[in-house]
Amino acid sequence: MKRYGVFLIIAVSLALTACRLLPGHSTAQETDVVFALGTREGFSSPLQAALKPAGPALEFEGSSFVLTGVHRKMLDALIADWSREKPRYLLAGYTPPGLPDDYARSLSERRAQAVRQYLIENKIEAAYLQTVGFGFDSSLNSPSSSVVVIFRQ
Amino acid sequence: MLLIPPVHALSLPAWLRFGKDAKSKAASSMTQKTVAVVAFTGGTGESAQRGLLVELTAASEFRLTNENPDFSVSGSSVGGRVTARVVNREGKELMDRTYAAPGLDENLKALADDLILVVTGKPGLATSRIVFVSNKSGSKQIFMCDANGKDLQQVTHHPHGCVSPSLNADGSAIAFTSYRSGFPVVQVLDLGLGYERTVTDTPGSSFGASFSPDGNRLAVVMSFLGNPEIFVTDLNSNSAACISDTTGAPCSPSWHPDGKQIIFADDRGTGPRLYVADVPATNETEAKLIRWRSGYSFCADPEFSPEADRVAFTAKVGNDLAVVVKSWPSGSARVIQAGGAVHPSWSPNGRYLCYSQHGTLYVHHLNSGTRTAILNGQGQITEPRWMK
Repeated sequence: MKRYGVFLIIAVSLALTACRLLPGHSTAQETDVVFALGTREGFSSPLQAALKPAGPALEFEGSSFVLTGVHRKMLDALIADWSREKPRYLLAGYTPPGLPDDYARSLSERRAQAVRQYLIENKIEAAYLQTVGFGFDSSLNSPSSSVVVIFRQ
Repeated sequence: MLLIPPVHALSLPAWLRFGKDAKSKAASSMTQKTVAVVAFTGGTGESAQRGLLVELTAASEFRLTNENPDFSVSGSSVGGRVTARVVNREGKELMDRTYAAPGLDENLKALADDLILVVTGKPGLATSRIVFVSNKSGSKQIFMCDANGKDLQQVTHHPHGCVSPSLNADGSAIAFTSYRSGFPVVQVLDLGLGYERTVTDTPGSSFGASFSPDGNRLAVVMSFLGNPEIFVTDLNSNSAACISDTTGAPCSPSWHPDGKQIIFADDRGTGPRLYVADVPATNETEAKLIRWRSGYSFCADPEFSPEADRVAFTAKVGNDLAVVVKSWPSGSARVIQAGGAVHPSWSPNGRYLCYSQHGTLYVHHLNSGTRTAILNGQGQITEPRWMK
């Protein structure tokens, strides 16, 4: 009888562990906190002025909007520099032609938001960041147009 | 049999004729309504009658005959102004209306559409408009034309361009995304007054505006919350409610004809799929959000047909984008046009789709499968939307 009790405890523990792995059952710690955008006042658009990129563009594969290790490495360098002058950054997403237009805008905005989220989580203040998704409404002089470009304001 | 003159061959009873075509023609002639256009009086009466016959012949919504017609239209025309009266077989008056626009052509198009609505119960296309984006002028701007690609006019002239247009139901206003300030904001242009107003100027991006059937609300994508979401904005109160609840990349919202649901595409990490969200009537109303299984793993630009029995959308078929129509809420899907055709939009009568393919604007007749390039060589045409 005691042996059955031990088996029961193990079975219940395994079942609970499996439940945690099911999609949609993430714990509070795993849930991302989404930071709402602050005012856009004072930010310039690359459509209006010749803005200088703060570093190389972050390239994305296919229709992914997930940051890779390469992206994080590039952003970490930016984060390290930020605290010295605290510049403001506009994160502008672009896609190549060939996608449905509206999807291209949303995907490019979503990528820019992913970059913003990472920067905020790594201590860049939210008020210093703005995003925009151009899709392929605005052409970019770049070898790849499936990118997020970080423009220093 | 071959020696029988065509007139005799055609006079055989329907049940004696062989082949699908003969059968369907016999069936359609039995159901097709007949209309007589009686002589119009007045100085421009003759021109009016001739012009109306041209409009109705092009529309092909019913048979024009003077022999025992189901409906008769008569009237008068003086100086381009047209008055018309429609009666049925029993002599009951169904319509009596005067058209006083500046030009005879404009009046005849409006009369043709009204007549088609009275006879068939479905709207005509003579006065309907298609809005689209073209880079003809050097930057992306909104243009508009009729269902035949005629009456082409540039609607916007904004610096840095305008995209993502949507016409309201009566064709009196266009919502679109403008880059005038360098950032995407949604604006509404009153076509009658020429007055523009900004609906959303929120941080992040705003795009994909779509008028509700009653014209009082807009569905629009905004990202000020920290990720893109679909919002429904009330144009009278300027309030907005989020209906999408996603952390993905939602886009291209479009209304159900009853105004109670919105279909949109959302990429939650595995490519864009189609979702349908209820539009809550009040804050307390429970709103459902479901994924609609279209059968394709990459879908965008969905739009309900006017009768809400089908949905047209862009899908990836093989390596190419294609226009697909699937029965709503369930049923079979059919590829209407492959090879890079995108952004389908229904005609008001639900018989045609317009879409763009490699920069050309097409109108596709769904029953016959024939299509016409209505605009070609007018820049790179994208994002067409037909007035509902």
